[in-house]
Amino acid sequence: MTFTRDFDETSRGMDELKIVLFVCNWGPHAALQTLQDQDRDIPHQVRMIRIPCTGRISKTLLFKAFERGADGVALIGCTPGTCRYGAGTYTAERNVEGARGILDLLGLGKDRLRLATFLPEEASPLLDFLNDFTDQVRGMGKSPVTPVPLKQPAHDGRRNTAEVLKAHDVYACQDCGKCSSACPMALSGRPYSPRAIANSIIAGSGNTPAVVNDVWSCLTCGICYDRCPSAVDFPAFIREMRCVQKASGKSGHEAHEGFFQSLMRAMTSPDLRTQHWKCLPEGIRTDQQSKTLFFGGCAPYFDEFFRRHLDVHTSDILADSLRLLNFFDVTPALLPGERCCGHDLLWSGDRENFLRLARLNVEAIEKMGIEEVVTACPECYRSFARDYPENGVPVNFRVTHIFDLAEKEIDKGAVGFEALDRSLTFQDPCRLSRMEGRADLPRKLIDRLRVKGFREMQDRGVSALCCGNCAWTGCDGYTKALQVKRLRQARATGSDLLVTACPKCQIHLRCAMEDPLLGKEIGMDLMDLTSVIARTIRWE
Amino acid sequence: MTTKHGNSVKAAVAVRKEIIITGFGGQGIVLAGQIVGKAAGLRDRKQSTLTQSYGPEARGGACSAQVIISDQAIHYPYVRKPDILICMSQGGFEKYGGLLGENSILIVDQDLVNPPEARCAAFFSIPATRLAEEMGRKMMANIVMLGFFTAVAGAISTEAARQTVTESVPKGTEELNLAAFNKGYDYGAAVLKGRQKKAEGKKGAL
Ligand code: SF4
Ligand code: SF4
Ligand code: SF4
Repeated sequence: MTFTRDFDETSRGMDELKIVLFVCNWGPHAALQTLQDQDRDIPHQVRMIRIPCTGRISKTLLFKAFERGADGVALIGCTPGTCRYGAGTYTAERNVEGARGILDLLGLGKDRLRLATFLPEEASPLLDFLNDFTDQVRGMGKSPVTPVPLKQPAHDGRRNTAEVLKAHDVYACQDCGKCSSACPMALSGRPYSPRAIANSIIAGSGNTPAVVNDVWSCLTCGICYDRCPSAVDFPAFIREMRCVQKASGKSGHEAHEGFFQSLMRAMTSPDLRTQHWKCLPEGIRTDQQSKTLFFGGCAPYFDEFFRRHLDVHTSDILADSLRLLNFFDVTPALLPGERCCGHDLLWSGDRENFLRLARLNVEAIEKMGIEEVVTACPECYRSFARDYPENGVPVNFRVTHIFDLAEKEIDKGAVGFEALDRSLTFQDPCRLSRMEGRADLPRKLIDRLRVKGFREMQDRGVSALCCGNCAWTGCDGYTKALQVKRLRQARATGSDLLVTACPKCQIHLRCAMEDPLLGKEIGMDLMDLTSVIARTIRWE
Repeated sequence: MTTKHGNSVKAAVAVRKEIIITGFGGQGIVLAGQIVGKAAGLRDRKQSTLTQSYGPEARGGACSAQVIISDQAIHYPYVRKPDILICMSQGGFEKYGGLLGENSILIVDQDLVNPPEARCAAFFSIPATRLAEEMGRKMMANIVMLGFFTAVAGAISTEAARQTVTESVPKGTEELNLAAFNKGYDYGAAVLKGRQKKAEGKKGAL
């Protein structure tokens, strides 16, 4: 029995099930050895990977097996209490639970992933488990996920550095340094300068490890672009450079071992039928015949992924958005099998798969006869309204941010707000406030609320500090320092509620608050603006 | 119905409608009356009459327009019992409020008129002057009010009202006046929706 035979070997048919076993080197491996010594009949669909400890197999690694085409994955560890390293089995339980939640939302079914534990002498129970699991996966059929090539094709429009430099007119840089002096990455203490990156790439040193590293550290937050007298669109330039680098096989700094990128790539499978709308709370009205669609985005996956760790509830934003729409008598349709908008793939250099998602989304939405797509996530909004058409996927529907819709409806009158005994400050989402130039919009809405007070942070609006991460790239000590700085600014306003407008700002800022040394100093309640509105709006 | 926060507007809808619009001279009261009458007569293909009265000092003094709309010929053009009373001044309310009956609708400018408990079927208010000011034209409060009236009273059709507004206002101000009309109309639609929601027991989004 070989442990590492590849899936796409030609001896096996396309329809053959692929089951991956991560087997801990200790207890269960001994049991497995016994099976092999006795020449017992191990199901041939099973491919095994020996691992030092089940606790080392993160949710990301478990999921990557599915992304690469596995139909079932089993993590086989040591019976609780017998783990050589102590907590391995417990960690594995948690990770498997989290990954199963994600598989469920994706519509793959959580039963494609199982955790089992064995003592060295439990060879027969192990064999029973393998047979049983293989039968179970066979019953579920092949996974709808079709693996996509990880490596980008080396052509597709602007695919080399010279073209990217030209297209974004980076040569117009006057080397004035305004960008560097405003860049939050530079100000967080990292030896980093956008103009220096631009100049190095112009000078032909784009492939040095330092420059590659810097390209992946940029937050694409856009302050530099706002300040640049020559209008060098640095975030767009960085985005294209990432595509060039990915195409030449250089990988980026993906946070959480690239889990979210994997998730998005898995969503490019045409046969996938996601289930993340299944968990909507009761009382929300939707109508599949409606010409208005609410596009929710990935919040349910975030909640599942960070459940144990950050206790985030970003899918509340989706429920509250729908309640708010219902309040205004909009009964929207939901996209069955909704996928990610692809924002993070595009911004982490994977245009191919971004385009796959964009086409699948637009096709599905247009098939429903939708005239207007409403989103509550600034990144979904930006992707649909701007990035899809600019990347050759035109949309034949209006794209509306829910703030615009709410402002328009509230402005008609007869609507008021219940008093809220909190004082607020606001974290601008870069995709809406800075990149779309709409910083006034959330503020108009905040102005309408009846709260104890509203105080702006030191950096706000088009100058606001980024939440410290974009497209799940480049999380490190410097971005953490940036988040701490931002939270200190928020606390300095004396407010007791930090209002956000992007699920990811909430996640990243909450993550910084988990710092055991600084937690008390920077901790703050967080709530999305859509939720604040939905929870206090009233007919007068 | 004796409360001023009446429930149903439908109760007051009849084939014949007697309407009084009151305010100060200079508020565009007569123009508003003309638009209502024209919309009913020329666009909605009904019969309509308009009479107007001014106080002793035209500008700033009390002023009213009386409109009757009917499916049949109108023989007497003065209003005896208004089905709809629109007040854009406290003085106007003092003068005509007493004519309200239990099937009447009372509509006031919220910031200018403070009616005591009035006997009527339904009571509506809108800060018409303030909304017009926010749009940069205090002068258009009458058109905001007209939009509101069109939405809540159901006496003339929306299309007729919009077209008549465009034809009746000075050239070059059509767009602005239409925007004012829509402002009032949307406000009226929102008020009706809010009342309906509350009647169904829903106050908020949660
Ligand atoms: S986009 Fe933001 S992080 Fe990147 S260089 Fe510009 S200011 Fe710095
Ligand atoms: S602000 Fe613009 S012109 Fe100035 S150094 Fe930066 S990129 Fe160059
Ligand atoms: S800041 Fe926290 S949540 Fe955000 S990418 Fe880094 S580790 Fe993940």
